[in-house]
Amino acid sequence: MNVIEVQNLRKEFNSYTSRPGLAGAFRDLFTRNYKIHAAVDNISLTVKQGEMVGYIGENGAGKSTTIKMLTGILTPTSGSIIVNGMNPHKQREEFVRTIGVVFGQRSQLWWDIAVQESFRLLKKVYRVSDEDYDRHMGHVIETLEIGPLLDKPVRKLSLGQRMRCELAAALVHNPPLLFLDEPTIGLDVLVKLKIRKFLQEINEQYKTTILLTTHDLTDIEALCERVVLLDEGKIIYDGKLNQLQEHAVEGKQIEFEFLSEVPRSSLPRVENLQWEQKDATTWLGYINGDEQMVSRLISDVVQRNPIKNVRINEISTEEIVRKIYEEGMALT
Amino acid sequence: MFYLSLFFQYASQYLKTRLTYRADTIIEILSDLLFQAVNLIFIVIVFRHTAFLGGWNRDEIIFIYGFFLVPYAIFSSFFNIWDFNDRYIVKGEMDRILTRPVHSLFQIILERIELESLFGAITGLLVMGYAIMNLDITLAWYDVLIFIVMVIGGAFIYAGIFISIATIGFWSDSRTDIMPMMYNISNYGRYPINIYNKVIQFVLTWILPFAFVGVYPASYFLNREEWYGYAFFTPVMGILFFGIAILLWNAGVKRYRGAGN
Repeated sequence: MNVIEVQNLRKEFNSYTSRPGLAGAFRDLFTRNYKIHAAVDNISLTVKQGEMVGYIGENGAGKSTTIKMLTGILTPTSGSIIVNGMNPHKQREEFVRTIGVVFGQRSQLWWDIAVQESFRLLKKVYRVSDEDYDRHMGHVIETLEIGPLLDKPVRKLSLGQRMRCELAAALVHNPPLLFLDEPTIGLDVLVKLKIRKFLQEINEQYKTTILLTTHDLTDIEALCERVVLLDEGKIIYDGKLNQLQEHAVEGKQIEFEFLSEVPRSSLPRVENLQWEQKDATTWLGYINGDEQMVSRLISDVVQRNPIKNVRINEISTEEIVRKIYEEGMALT
Repeated sequence: MFYLSLFFQYASQYLKTRLTYRADTIIEILSDLLFQAVNLIFIVIVFRHTAFLGGWNRDEIIFIYGFFLVPYAIFSSFFNIWDFNDRYIVKGEMDRILTRPVHSLFQIILERIELESLFGAITGLLVMGYAIMNLDITLAWYDVLIFIVMVIGGAFIYAGIFISIATIGFWSDSRTDIMPMMYNISNYGRYPINIYNKVIQFVLTWILPFAFVGVYPASYFLNREEWYGYAFFTPVMGILFFGIAILLWNAGVKRYRGAGN
């Protein structure tokens, strides 16, 4: 079953550019130079129930705009959106009952009141029955370890504590679909791990579908099998994360640490191989080829020079994404 | 029903928060009272110099002022929408509102209630009581019902105008100073309409109908029959202006562009 079905979705924003100088400002009063800018440009996307999808892209690539259209906050310029079988903007009040939303940079909780009072208000807003609330939230509160925080006002919580409470608040009505916009921004590693573990649990237990945007690609590596990569409002990759790793970066990086300084001339020269010096005794070899070529290269180097250490580096998703944005990629 | 119980939930939460900041609340109520007292003193001083203002005597004008305070108190308790643009559009709080299954305007009203402003209504009733004693007016039992209808009508007119102005924020993200200006204009409604020139009378009756919050409905209780037509038009204007405001609001929400992160 498809939880999210998006066809040719487009969102344009009108913006105007101001002319320079006082005379320009005066002219702006009467006629403005309007420019239409498509923040989201013909996106099509489907997400199945129970999937965890990582939605990544640089700042301004259109991630937030997409999420805001999927959650019914913004009206699309054109295209169709069906989420949980409804049109998010048209049936907003009915629709938002079936989703949970966490905006990392924006609090859902009431600043001045205790966390549990916020939960109680939300329980009322979402019309959750007492039994459902107790059964479900008891578990959420336990797993996120926020029990001791419940009677504190939100303004007294640390960022990590607040984020865990935000996550719990988004789940008061146990929604089948969860949108997380930068949920781990600014958090330390321990809290991040806790949140990831929790997300995995609810995904397994309730088959909750999760759409996640983040700058921290380790989140995506830990959680999402599928990634959607966005650039300038267009989807440039939609598929498995490990395939992205295989396709995007050809070859491997091998790090040789020698016992003494080694000149360039004593390193082997092969086709599809590039050398880069890291420090006096360490060289990085980038090789474009399969495992066989890698082992041949290693044996070649080791025979000629005494070495201290050899390491084959997996290239991180972060580097892959950086590379894609720098060089552009035609994967689709 | 759901909206009513939600209202009580928010209101009780609000009171809980307010009670933890007792000092603040008391200071706010006192400064409100002081502001009202200054306005009354102004009226009293004016009538030191003249016995009538546009055919209205001192106690009649005090009654109008007292009446005006009641719908105004209801408006300022429940429709704190004057900083909507800054708070909800520029800061992007509207995003959060729109992800919850309750009408967006109602949520904002709930979040921004300021129940202590209701004290203004008590002040208003006291001021009216004082004027009535001096004026020798007799009220029938059904006047209480008419009073309630008039007050709700007046509060709706106020709310309608201010909500309509707040919706400008959906179309233009630049800051405007219309809100404070409107607060000034709204004060004209608590003086007899016939002391102004014709253009201002027309504006206060049909365009920014603040006269329906003060002088028109109050003239019913003062037995000024020449204004009865206008007085009974108060609830109609209230429904009309509030209805227009809600239509504008719903159209505005569709235009909402969100704040950038």
